[in-house]
Amino acid sequence: MSPGHQQVTGNINSFNTVNFIAELDDEGHQILQWLSPLEPQKRHQGVRTDRLDGVGNWVLETTEFRKWRDGEDGCVEPVLFCYGNPGVGKTYVRYEVNWSKITPMLLTISK
Amino acid sequence: MVGLYCDFHAQQEQSTTNMLGAMLKQLASRGGISEHTREAFREAKKEFGGRGLRLPDMVDVLKKAITSLPRLFICIDALDECAQKHRRELMESLRQIVRVSPGARVFLTGRPHIDDEIVECFNSPLRIPLTPTHGDIKSYLEMRLSGDSTPSAMDDGLREDIMTIIPKKISEM
Repeated sequence: MSPGHQQVTGNINSFNTVNFIAELDDEGHQILQWLSPLEPQKRHQGVRTDRLDGVGNWVLETTEFRKWRDGEDGCVEPVLFCYGNPGVGKTYVRYEVNWSKITPMLLTISK
Repeated sequence: MVGLYCDFHAQQEQSTTNMLGAMLKQLASRGGISEHTREAFREAKKEFGGRGLRLPDMVDVLKKAITSLPRLFICIDALDECAQKHRRELMESLRQIVRVSPGARVFLTGRPHIDDEIVECFNSPLRIPLTPTHGDIKSYLEMRLSGDSTPSAMDDGLREDIMTIIPKKISEM
């Protein structure tokens, strides 16, 4: 297993809430339910499994990405938009080189 | 770090308040539930029989939960798959949130057609156009070839063709 993979996996765990929820009191559980029925961390597990190591890593090296990540608070534009056509590669590669896979990579910088 | 995945098939369920609520949920399950969130819950239970928060209140609770954090990455994937009404509300809410939280960073992905909406909402967002690189395509193809279910139909020539022609076609798209 590559160090990159381990890093991502470790960080995925911080995204996964299951372990933490167990420590909440009754009201806490009710509050989580009440806040939203959505459970994005479940989808996240799926994306993680499908992700091919290294694909899309070049995004992390772009000037825009670095500026966004490292820029001084209040001075840098806090919003970064990555856009692409779903058709790019789909016909030939069938499984898209998917932008979803960039999101888990961000976990590596969010510790 | 909090994250959401938008999905065409879940547009109904993925209302703006549900999506913002999911972010709060992620924050709460890691950092504990803030007193402010608890109060909002008790209030809602008492006055409205447990009804969910209205959008402005949800934004308010989220703002309070985020301002104290030195750094927070908010990642939203496939924003174009979110219903247009919800998308606008979500972006507007994010705009309000980042305004009061200098440590927050928002990472959005989506198809190019929502670019105008994003530029309109956030003053001058940083933007990166995504296309799979040659290396990305090659790694993907190698992965697929190694999992070939009928390896007897494969030979060096075919493999070579796959590895050359597909990346070439994609780069011409």
